[in-house]
Amino acid sequence: MLQPGRLQKDLERELEFHVRERAEDLRAGGMSADEAARAARQAFGNYTSQVERTRDMDINEGLERLGRNLRLALRGLTKTPAFTLTVVATLAIGIGANSAVFSAIDAILLRPSPFPNSDRLVKLSQKNPKNQDAFVAPPRLEDWNRLNSTFQAITGYYTEDDSEISGDLPEKLTRALVAPRFLQVWGVAPALGRDFTPQEEHFGGPNAVLISDRLWRRRFDGNAAALGKTLRLGNYSYPIVGIMPASFLFPDRTVDFWSPSPMDAPYAQSRETGWFTAFGRMKPGVTLEQARANLDTVQADLGRQFPKTDAHMGVVVKPLKEATVAGVKRSLWMLFGSVSLLLLIACTNIAALLLSRASERRHEISVRFSLGASRASVAMQLLTEVLVLSLAGSLLGLAIAGEAARVFRALAKDLPRVDEIRLDWSIVFYSLACAVAATLLCGLFPALRATRRSLAGSLASAGRSQVSSRNPVQFTLVGVQVALAVMLLAGAGLLLRSFQELGRVSPGFDAEHVLTFHMSSSWGETSDQKVATQRLNRVLDGLRSAPGVAEAAASIGLPGLPTQYAIELNTVEGLAETEPKMIAQSRAVSPGYFATMRIPLLAGETCRDDVNASGVMVNRSFANAYLGGPAAIRRHLTQPGNWPSSEIRGIVGDARESGMDREPSPTVYWCYSALQPGTYFLIRTHGDPTSMAETVRRKIHEIEPRRSVYDLTPLADHIADAYAENRLRTILLAFFALTAVSLACVGLYGTLSYLVSIRQREVGLRLALGALRTQIVRQFLAQGLTVALLGCVAGLALTAVFGRLLAGMLYGVSAWDAMTLGAVVGLVLAVSILASLLPAVRAARLEPMQVLREQ
Amino acid sequence: MGERKNDILQGTLALLILRTLASGKRLHGYAITAHIQRVSEQLLRVEEGSLYPALHRMEQQGWVRAEWGRTEKNREARFYSLTAKGRKQLTQEEESWSRLTEGVARVIRYV
Repeated sequence: MLQPGRLQKDLERELEFHVRERAEDLRAGGMSADEAARAARQAFGNYTSQVERTRDMDINEGLERLGRNLRLALRGLTKTPAFTLTVVATLAIGIGANSAVFSAIDAILLRPSPFPNSDRLVKLSQKNPKNQDAFVAPPRLEDWNRLNSTFQAITGYYTEDDSEISGDLPEKLTRALVAPRFLQVWGVAPALGRDFTPQEEHFGGPNAVLISDRLWRRRFDGNAAALGKTLRLGNYSYPIVGIMPASFLFPDRTVDFWSPSPMDAPYAQSRETGWFTAFGRMKPGVTLEQARANLDTVQADLGRQFPKTDAHMGVVVKPLKEATVAGVKRSLWMLFGSVSLLLLIACTNIAALLLSRASERRHEISVRFSLGASRASVAMQLLTEVLVLSLAGSLLGLAIAGEAARVFRALAKDLPRVDEIRLDWSIVFYSLACAVAATLLCGLFPALRATRRSLAGSLASAGRSQVSSRNPVQFTLVGVQVALAVMLLAGAGLLLRSFQELGRVSPGFDAEHVLTFHMSSSWGETSDQKVATQRLNRVLDGLRSAPGVAEAAASIGLPGLPTQYAIELNTVEGLAETEPKMIAQSRAVSPGYFATMRIPLLAGETCRDDVNASGVMVNRSFANAYLGGPAAIRRHLTQPGNWPSSEIRGIVGDARESGMDREPSPTVYWCYSALQPGTYFLIRTHGDPTSMAETVRRKIHEIEPRRSVYDLTPLADHIADAYAENRLRTILLAFFALTAVSLACVGLYGTLSYLVSIRQREVGLRLALGALRTQIVRQFLAQGLTVALLGCVAGLALTAVFGRLLAGMLYGVSAWDAMTLGAVVGLVLAVSILASLLPAVRAARLEPMQVLREQ
Repeated sequence: MGERKNDILQGTLALLILRTLASGKRLHGYAITAHIQRVSEQLLRVEEGSLYPALHRMEQQGWVRAEWGRTEKNREARFYSLTAKGRKQLTQEEESWSRLTEGVARVIRYV
């Protein structure tokens, strides 16, 4: 066990001195030296046991005492393996689930972003009355950077996909085009090589790219000779000037390389079109409010200077972290709340088990008291036992958390920062803290109760199982478990129902049998719209001729994904002052889109491919809301600014374009079929869409040999992925809730079984006196059910209080959905009956004579 | 172990130790045994097996203070002395002892 400490050595020295003194006295009395030594030693009795006994007296030596407690605890626990395993497993699940969710929270919400002084990084967007979170126009980005006084620098980026063609086959690479000062804002330097030079950031200057660590390892085997090599994109070569560190994953982990986006390029001079996602680094000591006020002033000045474009423009300043993780924050805290409840249930469960165990050990505890042990020392010993259990539980829990984190990363690969989730020391400390908290939570109360002096008086009567007291505490604990479990189960049930509702909505389009993919292209190609349109149409015609393809179309966005792109419109004829403003979701699609997505044409005709006369389609909501239904056809729509007007050619059915969980809103479809980066191809297939991937690749290679095809995914999968967070939190909460219910049932079962075992004598007596077995069953069953019922009532009350936390996550059900809550209570009661029935029947099966003889 | 007529009644050892230390002298364990035996004229014998556990418990209760020192023969030994708390304890134990002996004596004398 423990090393003999200072105390033990002191004792040995002291006792040795005593023996020596005695031997000396005996010798002085005339004994020989040997005889005297022997006699002295003999008189002393068993030397080692003296040392031990004396040492045991001393409880100042905390460590040695702890060692002894540990030894005792281990001895006690190995004697009851079933109890030990139950408790360790329960705690492992509780602590494991808790640590796993905490590791996600730690990585996503708590840990600072992996950039130096990341608290000074903010995301900037321009807002106007119709769009709260818009991309920033290049001249405005430069103005903000030049005129502000609170930022070290402001920069921006946008991404597009390119085909790199120096290899055998074109490879799709993701490129981030970055405004000047990009690395300066992040405070990150290339791992190898250098940042862009000012010449490279000017229009017409030398080409240069920084490549990602991932691309460097994949294409250049991590060889430093990659510096100075080139990437070939379209007709140009791009020398590699630097390699970024592996930790730099901005804007996300899919980016393969970064290249400058010249702000003095002729195409970047319009204040009307924005494409930059802007970021800034505040100066040290500047607060968010100061930065906001400063940029507001700057923008107000710009509004006076450029009244046409900037007068109604505002600036949105958000901390970087908030901008990246705001969406998942609620889900994560909700999950954390539910695993904490789970841990609480586990602790309550164990507390009930410990109480039963403590009553079984009353005799042992009484003996200790009568031997002079203090209450504190007995309680400490009982707590040590729980500590051993929790530590074992938390170690096992860590293993579970490690696995869970892996599953989490796989299931939630779209969450921001999800690849930063890992088990590190902070998680280990967290789960140890959980263990200590669990020890106190589930051990303290039983320990204090078990060591109450009144119990010590039971020494005389111990060993006799008379009718015992009613155990209200154990039943309260079980009731608490049931209540918490009902609350978790209600939450899970509501989420599950929302999910079901979401699957049941008719979206207005048919997502089955649709394959989507991208084909590489660059923004440069969009300068000649005519060529871009011809190219797209050639590809679509080719696809339609392929076997197995029913329809083909192109669209800038995908239907059914949560995206918002609202714009304000006007009619050429003008709107009366009294008419409402026309706000609509804007979509750019090729004419074949409606046939491919099976969105029905309600009136008019589908717009044709015609570069010169641009047409537009509107959905029924738009026509009804703004233009008096069918009368909308042939009206002309314009966007504020210098856009050409478009004629409304037809009206189509309402579809949930901007999210399955959103009612269809007024939508305009611009008939636009020029190829641009990010264009989605949509093909309706006769068979399984995934089996068409190879056909599509071959067909595109025939038509456009220098372009790569990538991201071949069925539309249904895209939609499912978009709701992955939704699905994940539903699955997790359901899992936690079921675990909670099982724990609560084990608690109920354990407590009733214990009750039956200590009341055997009473039951036996009653049976002997003629009680019916059904009466006995009924009595125990009633006891179990009363507890479960009270627990359910308390659980429903808790749900009513905390249900509104879920309100924002629900779809199609209210937080107090009677059917869900009824089902939850029904389930919990049914399982409670099962859990109570077993011990009740066991009690009724007792053989009265045998019981009475035994006890 | 063989029988011993002169074993100390359980519970009185502490009293004897406290009384021995009451003179204010610092004594080591062996000296305490020797003192009790000498003063009781060999009627009482302190068993070492009880002495040290008792001393440690008393130290823990704060009745005695222990520190390392050297004997006149220049050997290292642990010396015990009485604390204020121990002195109070002594008064109490003496009182309860005299009550006990008086009670026992009365019972014995009663015919």
